[in-house]
Amino acid sequence: MRIGEYLKKENCIMDLRAFSREAAIEEITESLVRTGKVKNQEAFIQDVLEREKLGSTGIGLKVAIPHAPTEAVDTFVIGFGRSELGIDFQAIDDEKVHLVFVMGTNPQELSLYLKLLSELSRLLRKTDFREALLKAASPDEIVDIFKRFEA
Amino acid sequence: MAISHIVVALAGGPKSALPAKYAIALAGRLNARITAVHVVNEKIIHDLIKAKVVVEQEARAYYRDLEDQGWTFLKKIKKLSESKNVSCDIQLLKGIVHEQIVGKIKDSKADLLIIGQLKEILSMKEVYIEEGERLFWEAPCPVLVVKNQEMVEALFKEL
Repeated sequence: MRIGEYLKKENCIMDLRAFSREAAIEEITESLVRTGKVKNQEAFIQDVLEREKLGSTGIGLKVAIPHAPTEAVDTFVIGFGRSELGIDFQAIDDEKVHLVFVMGTNPQELSLYLKLLSELSRLLRKTDFREALLKAASPDEIVDIFKRFEA
Repeated sequence: MAISHIVVALAGGPKSALPAKYAIALAGRLNARITAVHVVNEKIIHDLIKAKVVVEQEARAYYRDLEDQGWTFLKKIKKLSESKNVSCDIQLLKGIVHEQIVGKIKDSKADLLIIGQLKEILSMKEVYIEEGERLFWEAPCPVLVVKNQEMVEALFKEL
């Protein structure tokens, strides 16, 4: 189960304009809408924000993974955004978040979704992986980093 | 040696119908019975809670949905089997996928395990991560890997 099969360069934002959690989720979602992966932008954002109400998806280590199963998509989708200044996600370590992955899936594909969420979480626990993402110069490099670390 | 009891391991997605159809087609021809097994992967949910990626309340909802989806899928397979007059027991297990299925094979003394197509493996590390691979290597009986949808559909239809 590899994230690299799903993350596309068109959905990687190297310098998020957003300063807030809500705006970051919206900005990344917009890229998923533009590439036709999200069919209902409003519903998608609402479902992801509803999930945030249960507890922040800022998991520490400068990372957040806002996510939700949602009818707004037909299959698994993932988008990435990087923020140089950092975003307040009310993360569990109270640090600002620099790497944001927005994920969603149709509820019928829950099993696949949890496997991919687990794979992403496994990768993000690696210091060298996070550092590579922070240093990457282009969306192509982001996609290549996933391929390299998942090989 | 006759094959009288086949265990078919089902991941639950749309592609899972293929190994189930092959198991039914084979069992019908061999006069064997089937146990169709789907495992709710408890470990993955537990690991996600531990990594703080999901919260308890969310995990409970996922767990419930996975169980519901598992039963829905298994019931479809049972109907499919009944349509071909093949005896099919359905079982939803919980835990670590390959461990649960290997346990079921041992307990029921099944003669054959049928699984879906394996994923492309890029490194040895993945052999230990992919449940299909682990099942393939750790099953205590012969394992049949199903591929070629067209062929399977034809075999199923002919029965």
